[in-house]
This record gives sequence, C-alpha cells and structure tokens, in this order.
Amino acid sequence: MGVEVRGLSGRISDELARRGDGGWMEWAKTLSVRLVSSNGGTNDWLPMAGSYRAIPGGLRFDARFGLSPGLTYEAVFHPSRLPEARGDEPPLVSRHTPLIRRASSTTRLTQVYPTAAVLPENLLKFYLQFSAPMSRGRIYQHIHLRRANGGEVELPFLEINEELWDPSMTRLTLFIDPGRIKRGVRPLEEIGPALEEGKIYTLTIDSQWRDANDAPLESAFRKRFRVGPPDRDTPDMSLWRVDAPRAGTRGKLKVSFNDPLDHALAQRMIFVRDREGARLEGAIELSDHERRWTFIPRKPWRAGEHTLVAATTIEDLAGNNIDKPFDVDVFDSVQRRIGANEATRRFEVR
Amino acid sequence: MKPFSPVSRARALAPVLALGLMTSSCLAANWTAGFEEGKPAIKSISQITFGPDAILFVADSKSASIFAIATEDAKAGAPGKMIQVAGINAKAAALLGTTADQVLIDDLAVNPISHTAYLAVSRGRGPDAVPTLIRVKQDSQLEWVNLDRVKFSRVDLPDAPTDTPPAEGRRGANPRVETITDIAFLEDRLLVAGLSNEEFSSTLRSVPFPFKKVARGASVEIYHGAHGRFETRAPIRTFVPFMVGNEPQLLAAYTCTPLVQLPLKDLLPGSKVKGKTIAELGNRNRPIDMIVYQKGGKDYLLLANSSRGVMKVSTDKIEAAENIAEPVKDGSTRGLAYETVKGWTGVDQLDRLDQDTALVLRHSEGSVQNLESLPLP
Repeated sequence: MGVEVRGLSGRISDELARRGDGGWMEWAKTLSVRLVSSNGGTNDWLPMAGSYRAIPGGLRFDARFGLSPGLTYEAVFHPSRLPEARGDEPPLVSRHTPLIRRASSTTRLTQVYPTAAVLPENLLKFYLQFSAPMSRGRIYQHIHLRRANGGEVELPFLEINEELWDPSMTRLTLFIDPGRIKRGVRPLEEIGPALEEGKIYTLTIDSQWRDANDAPLESAFRKRFRVGPPDRDTPDMSLWRVDAPRAGTRGKLKVSFNDPLDHALAQRMIFVRDREGARLEGAIELSDHERRWTFIPRKPWRAGEHTLVAATTIEDLAGNNIDKPFDVDVFDSVQRRIGANEATRRFEVR
Repeated sequence: MKPFSPVSRARALAPVLALGLMTSSCLAANWTAGFEEGKPAIKSISQITFGPDAILFVADSKSASIFAIATEDAKAGAPGKMIQVAGINAKAAALLGTTADQVLIDDLAVNPISHTAYLAVSRGRGPDAVPTLIRVKQDSQLEWVNLDRVKFSRVDLPDAPTDTPPAEGRRGANPRVETITDIAFLEDRLLVAGLSNEEFSSTLRSVPFPFKKVARGASVEIYHGAHGRFETRAPIRTFVPFMVGNEPQLLAAYTCTPLVQLPLKDLLPGSKVKGKTIAELGNRNRPIDMIVYQKGGKDYLLLANSSRGVMKVSTDKIEAAENIAEPVKDGSTRGLAYETVKGWTGVDQLDRLDQDTALVLRHSEGSVQNLESLPLP
C-alpha cells in the first residue's frame, strides 16, 4: 500500500529528497498513515511503519505491512510542515477502508488422534486435525476435558505459549501434562491424574476458536472416550503381524501392531528397505485406530527379502518407545535400552 | 531473553573472569567478521536474546534456524531510566497497521548496552503471519526495526537424527516442527532448548558462535531423576547459565516446574544428561521465564510462572543443595528457599532492564498488555 502526494514544486521535492533517511518519525510529521480506532479517532496511534521517498513533484509513503480488511486508515498530509512552507495551509486528509472479506465459518476440526474410543490411562498426547489453517494465541481456553458428570478436569494439558502447530497450522499437538501421568510425580499425588481408568471423558473443542481468516469454527467438536488400563509396555516389533504381498504386484504390505502407535510417528518413522538397503518409495496408510499400517510401493514388489524398519523413537499412545518406556524405573530395567537408532524385522516377498 | 550480563558474570564467573575478558577483547572485533549484509529470511521468531556487541539472536522455529543480527544499537544507555508503556500490544499493532487482537508479542529481550527493549512481534496469528521486531527506547517510544539491510549470520539446526522425509501420500511439508522454547548466550556459544511437536523429546544444543555448521545429532537428552525411582524425559521450558562454585551450570525449569541444575561440561553431543532437582516449585503451575541478578552482594534467581506469580529464589546455597529424590508428601516445598514476589501478577515475559530493574511484559484483565519497569525485589 502506498500514499502519494502530487503537485509539489520540483524544488520542494528536491529538498525532500535531500532529507534522505532522516528517520521515519521525521518524515511522518509531514505525511503519515494511521489506523482509525473504532471510536473514529487516530490521536492515540503511532503512524504506520513504512518508507518515504521523494518522487518527481511529490512525496510517497509505502506502508511496510498490508492493510487489514474492514479497518479504516487515515492518511494526513501537512503542507505547512514542508520545507519553505508558507503560512498555515490546512492538512489534507484521506480515509480508506479495505473491503472486508466475509469471514464465514467453514473450517472444521476433522479428526482427533488417537481415534480409538478406549485410551490408556497414561495417554500422552492428542493431535487435533483441522480442515484449514487456524490461528494461534491463547488457544488453550478453547480446549476442555470433561468428566462424565460434566465437571472439567483442571489443567490437564501442557500449555506451551509457543503452541505446538505443524507448519501449515492445520494440526495442533496437545500433550497431556506429564506431571499428571507420570508415576511418583508430585503434582500427580496432590491433584491426581488427568485421566483415570474406567471413567468416561469428553474432549471438547469450542466453536469460538478462530481460524486463520478470523472466522469461528463451523461447529464445536466432541470426542467421547473411555479410559482403559495404563500402557507401560514398549512397542515390540517381534509381536507385529506382517502380511507380505506377492512379488510382481503392487499389493499392500499389511502390518498390524501389537499396540496402537502414535499417528504422526507411525507415518514418519516406519518404512521398507529392499535387499540392497534402498528405501522403497510408496504410499502409507494408517487404519484400524492406528493399529494397522499399510504400504503400497510405487513400483511392483521384487521377490526376495525385504526389511521393515522403525525408528526406535517411535512411540505408542503413552509415549513408550522401542528404546524404553516413558517412565523408566531406574532400579529395574534401565539397562534394557537398545541404543540403536532403528529396529528391524525381515520379511520375504514371494 | 536473558543476556548473561557483564555485571553478574563479573561476580558469578569470578574464577574465569580474567580469561573471559581476555578472550572477549581478543574476539571483540571478530564477532561480526563472518556476517553477510542483506535481509535475513526469517520465517518466525520464537525467542530472542542478546549476545556480545549488541548482537541479537533470533530463534526461528519454522525454518529451524538461529539468526545473529548486528543491531548496531551499541551506544551505552543512561542508567536508571524506567521504560513504561501501557497498552503496548495495541501500540505495537498500530505501528504495524492493525489491531491488538491481530498481533502476538512472543518474546522480550533488553539490549544490555543501550537498555533498549526489543519485542518479537507476530503480525497476524495464522500461518501467513509476518514476524517482526519492535524496539522500545529508554524514552518509552516504539520503533519498528527494519531488517531489510542488516549484517547477520545464520545457522541451521539439524533435524532430529531419526527424522526421515515425508512419505508419499502425505502432501506438503514435513509436519514435524521443533519449537525452540528458550535460548541463552554464554561466553562463545548459544544454548538452544527445543521441543518436538511429534515425539516427546526435549533437546538442548550448544551452538558455537561465531556460527559454524551444527553437527547432526549435536543435541543432548535431558533427564531429571526426581520423584523417587522414575527418571523421565522432560521438556525444558526456560533456563539460565549460572556459576555454581567454579563450574558453569544451567539452571533449568521444566514444564512441570521442578528446578534442575545441569553441569554445562556434561552437555556433549549425543550424550544423555541427568540433572539434579534442587527445588520443587509447586503444581498447577508452569514456568514462563527466568533471570538471574544480584542484590546486596547475593545472587538471586527470578522465575515467572503461569499461576504462582513470580518466585525469588536465593541461589547462594545451590552448591550445597541436595538432589530431591523423594516425592514431597506434605504439600510443602523442598529444596532451595523461595518467596513469591507480591504484586507481580500476570507476567508473560521477563528480562533485566539494568542491574536494579526488571522489565516485564504483563497482562491485566482482558487482553491489554503493559510493558513495565519494576525494581528487582
């Protein structure tokens, strides 16, 4: 956005050009653009940041940031503050209101992961997947965890000011406060766990949460689930069921986990290598409430041995990874750590 | 966020002071030697902190990079000036041509030389938000910081070692982000704490400055062995470098508020470090920010919290502090003594303005945020 004043004498614009970078506040005394507040005034507001330059027979201001739809901006030019100004010429004022984009509610919360209706007592996180980019800033007020009687669980989530969004801001990671799930942690003893086995909870997302276009969600979202026993076992690849496809086809490789895995990590941390050790390209799908992983290769399967690979940092719903459980009992099994970066399981394509 | 100031270092790092000063003066001319001139491609600003010679470090979580920017704001400020700006979020918004609900102030850092306050401000709240810097001078006037042509240097943080490219069928970019939760400069390195939005892991990197390429996997996993028998991976929320005896240490506050001490010498790439829990600071509470300062010849730590106000912790007994290995049953606190500072409510950001004054960004009822200078307690 730019504002131009024209019709100045060549001598004045030469003089302005000489002023050079005298600082933005100096220029702004002659020409400024301010936001008009809802009561119609501008006096309180600083002029907008931007750059000034003299143009032939005039002066130009380029705002650094775009104008926001629906807000009113006022440009004021003071001829009396020009170099060699004569007398008290009144200021020239111009107002502009960019058209408002209709902020209609079209964004939805499309899925909450994990998708299962029964979740372990020591569940570590939820992912909230939205249909379009959302806005950040004080989001936790829109997220509630309620007991069956409607009572709200107090501060169940790790509230992180930065908020854990993916780059597109369509997925939010919501950690359950580890202090409310770990064994032996002080907050747990004082205020109890966020989730208790055998009870029913509802995760509720308010519709007032705004998307990136400042429109509220299409509707509120509720996920009702029952809490099962805690999961303190690490994911174990030897217990996974692997159904190998037939050679020469692009059939699905089907892998069933012994334990549901983290939705994001199961898509990122599991892959297939061929006999030469090359990673196969293809499409991954998760189903059966994050218990089943399928892979369709881009090229037909070749006969022979293949390797299913998982990073040892892959987590189940309670944050246990192949390397170690979420809570390590230091007097017990801490030496059980595998140490390698990946776990593997061989299978044969015939 | 918390420059390791010459004042506190002079005392806190007394045993290495001579060496430290010599190193600094030898290197003084070299801090910006490898800098290029131009416009740094900053995609987001999560954290800011000052280093030597008015160099501002900008942590960009979106591009997984740290920028070092020569602000050239190196003229010594007058002592004892108090910055006060009521409604700073609305004023910053007006400067950026929008309303307070469309800006977020993500961090605050005071230039220890000029005592100018720098604010990391996001114009917009969605994925297209524009990150920018606004500074507040000692006369409390706001100024937008133009980064179109500055001297800067950049270092990219490596992905987690287990990271693999997104599989086919997952459109767009890798959804994994490592959010930088705090940074601090110490001597010749920048310490960077991060938290992943996928696996539950917390990393602390030590990045040499002037920047070199950061080795892949140059991160440490931090454990704290508190709470009886269970050690856990825990994300660091905020930290400060601090001398305990003769050894540089980090005092780190975890998301579930124990205060943990970690020796810096243990923070080697790829290592697993266990910290010592030296204080339990209570439940229903999150640490937000902390600074160290001196008063009456004693060292203190000031920790801003989400719901328990600001805690002043006397650190002169840290050396002798014992690890808290047993859960505290009676509801009282254990470890280092602390007091809650009265009246410091709603603190969102905290830094030291000068040796006697703190600068806080805090919110009152509603969404109004004020920038206030408060005498250090």
